[in-house]
Amino acid sequence: MGRVMAVPTPSGASGRARRLEKINAKAPRFGRVSHLETIPFGRALTVERFRLDNGLGVLLLQDKSAPVVAYHTWFRVGSRHEKPGKTGLAHLFEHLMFNEVEGLPAGEFDRKLEEAGAENNASTWLDFTQYNESLPKNQIGLVVKLEAARMSKLVLRDPQVTSEKEVVANERRYRVDDDVEGAVDELLWKTAFQVHPYRWPTIGWMEDIQNFTTEDCAAFYSTYYAPNNATVVVVGDFSEASLLEKISQSYGDLAPAELPIEDLEPEPPQQEERRLEVVKPTPTEKLAVGYKGPALGDADHIAVSLLLEVLFGGRASRLQKLLIRELELATDLRASVGPHRDPALIEVFVSAREGRRAEEVLEVIDRELDRVRREPVTNAEIERARARAELGLVGGLETADGKASTLGFYETVLGEPAAAFSRLRAMQRVDAGDLLRMARRYLVPRARTVIFVRSGGTS
Amino acid sequence: MSPRPSAPAAPTEDTAARLGVPALFVEPSPALPMVGVSFALTRGAALDPPGKEGATRLMARLLRRTGGNRTATESDELIDSLGGSLAVEATSSTVGVHGHVITRSLERFTRVIEEVVQAPTFREDEFRLLLRETEGELIEALDDDRTLARRWFRRRLFAGHPYGRPTSGTPESLRRIALDDLEALYRRLFVKAHVVLAFAGDLTPEAALEFGRQLTASLPDGPAVPDEVGEPKGIEGRRLVIVDKPERTQTQIFIGGLGSHPRDEDHTALYVANTIFGGTFTARLTQEVRAKRGWSYGAYSSLPFDRQRQAFSMWTFPKAEDAGPCIALQLAMLRDLRERGVTKSELARAKKYLCRSHAFSVDTPSKRAGLRVDSVIYDLPARYFEEYTDRVQAVTLEQVNAAIRNRLPERDLLVTVLGTEAHIGGALREAIPDLADVEVIPFDRND
Repeated sequence: MGRVMAVPTPSGASGRARRLEKINAKAPRFGRVSHLETIPFGRALTVERFRLDNGLGVLLLQDKSAPVVAYHTWFRVGSRHEKPGKTGLAHLFEHLMFNEVEGLPAGEFDRKLEEAGAENNASTWLDFTQYNESLPKNQIGLVVKLEAARMSKLVLRDPQVTSEKEVVANERRYRVDDDVEGAVDELLWKTAFQVHPYRWPTIGWMEDIQNFTTEDCAAFYSTYYAPNNATVVVVGDFSEASLLEKISQSYGDLAPAELPIEDLEPEPPQQEERRLEVVKPTPTEKLAVGYKGPALGDADHIAVSLLLEVLFGGRASRLQKLLIRELELATDLRASVGPHRDPALIEVFVSAREGRRAEEVLEVIDRELDRVRREPVTNAEIERARARAELGLVGGLETADGKASTLGFYETVLGEPAAAFSRLRAMQRVDAGDLLRMARRYLVPRARTVIFVRSGGTS
Repeated sequence: MSPRPSAPAAPTEDTAARLGVPALFVEPSPALPMVGVSFALTRGAALDPPGKEGATRLMARLLRRTGGNRTATESDELIDSLGGSLAVEATSSTVGVHGHVITRSLERFTRVIEEVVQAPTFREDEFRLLLRETEGELIEALDDDRTLARRWFRRRLFAGHPYGRPTSGTPESLRRIALDDLEALYRRLFVKAHVVLAFAGDLTPEAALEFGRQLTASLPDGPAVPDEVGEPKGIEGRRLVIVDKPERTQTQIFIGGLGSHPRDEDHTALYVANTIFGGTFTARLTQEVRAKRGWSYGAYSSLPFDRQRQAFSMWTFPKAEDAGPCIALQLAMLRDLRERGVTKSELARAKKYLCRSHAFSVDTPSKRAGLRVDSVIYDLPARYFEEYTDRVQAVTLEQVNAAIRNRLPERDLLVTVLGTEAHIGGALREAIPDLADVEVIPFDRND
């Protein structure tokens, strides 16, 4: 997909140029700010793209509907950048970023933000790590300083690393080891991918988590936490010039780093079906199926998303109607296509009704997928799927934080901050023939992975 | 750019009175092409007939499915095609029909809600289907350790009180429910005297009034069902409930007792105390349990309320080996809090946090409307949310520490732990001094 066309704003542009000149006149060594483009974001908002001389990307979206600001920092590093034996490092590092910073003892970072009334958090996934703060608009200066400080002045010590490893091990127990769906999801990706780093979980294998050293963490920090590997996204009620000046002053001394060239082997095409069976202490059988899907940047991703809505999205979708209501074989089912930089999985997860077998569920899914490979879906089904997607997008933009998440995600994975809207427009052009082609291309039984979960260990 | 929202919520006792309902709220904002609609009742699952727990929730779900004489599938297809979402909820104190829709479909969407709340059809076929589906969901819920632990915590803490009854029902209680029960509940609950309406987003107050009229036009005028839910008493002594589930590497722990209600004079002081003790990431619990010891990914305390007092509780989830020491630490921290109270600097920080972060309780039209609906549903003092930051600012150190001593339970405490009893049972018993009672519940007991 191409970049969204810039909107010309002559008077605003000249005013901005004068303001940037002032900011740049007193900028630190790497702190000069350049305005790159204006990008429409929905029907009434625009995103301004800037860059500092050190490569730090800045996306600003002014939205004065509430007196608050969302401040996100997105790093282009995730679990895909890890190596076997060191899995989970990106995620552990995300935890460590809340510890000591030069001049700020451990805990002080969060304390200062809380005093400012901020809500803050972070997340790590396959392709990125992001840190987010939402705070009252008059507190924005604080967060600029704090985020700039922890981008270069984090202090890593053994006691904090040891304690945080235990926290992450407990998070893993919570999300994976004692959670049926989490454990099955991990097994599905591990089995479906044999070469690409998507085969290990973002949280990491337990053994790797327990073996990390402070040196591992320090090396990761110096490699990936650099201004030219990050984008700052700010949404809310702020003054553009004043904020840019703060960003220039706070980040302008940080030198860019030489980022390693990513050296990944693509996952070879899957030529055979892979089946596994596991026993879990669960009252009902489960089924997980993974088909190889397109990357987020592939035009097919939009059509596959729509196809999955038709088949699995909401109670009016084909498989929900069949499996839950008509045949009463399942209690819950959902499906998604991974929104990732490289081709990932189309995942289907089903909880069978008590006493029903996972094989019965798979048989129905196979029958329906066979049908969708042979016959076009109806226009009414496509319209419903589009309407669901539209509501999902608009609903996710209610808060400043929701807008910042949407911008930061698409900027980091695709380089297109407003891609949510271009995808919605592209969805309007998808027709039944496209969906037929997607079903034939991706929902291929011989290239899938299937996990059957048996019920065992009940009291 | 969208304009700043005006002063909240127009309406108005006058407007509501014209419709014959207790309240109607409107939070207009053209920022997004979307409207939120909320139709809530001031009575809820506390009205489930004895032995028929889950009836109110079933009734609400059946309305959602059969409004306008549609089948469940027809209703879902219609709502999806409008770019809408419509959910129903039933708690002890309320039944709610809440939806969002893309603005262009608002009129048709409002008609759907109108049909749901005024023209349900109570189809026998859909009722049978829903019963079986609900039973399947109850069984499926056994996979969720946190929910299971919390459910038993509530059921034992509020035993004998409506808050202890399972609003989703049990397989056994569902089997006792007949379609007639749901129709009878509908007739009692869906009267104008119980209705609280709210509209938020891309519509005018005038349009909201018209839609409000539409949603209530053919509902009967009354009378309101008396609220007979009394004050819960909590428990006496220290009790341990172990929800026994095999192969657990981790535990889910809820510790607590009776909390407070905004009608209590010291509620705000206790709320501030809870913030200091376990309400944020820098609070005492998170620092001691997670930051210093790495025992649990999360460690929090909470003080929710309903129409009456709800629970004060702590939630942690350490690995099985750390469960005993973690409980001992939490009990020691609670004792310390009661004996020594909070400090002046902790209070100052908590006040800043609570007052400044209040911006995020009111930063969208839906949230602002939601608070207003809550103020009616939960019978809160007048201007409860408007005066929230003033009340927090006014709290003194003495009031906070007195509230802790007077309200936070130390002796009358329920400890609920989900884990593998054979591995952790002994350590749990040792960790809790003066234990009056221990109950072990198999995780798949679904009564």
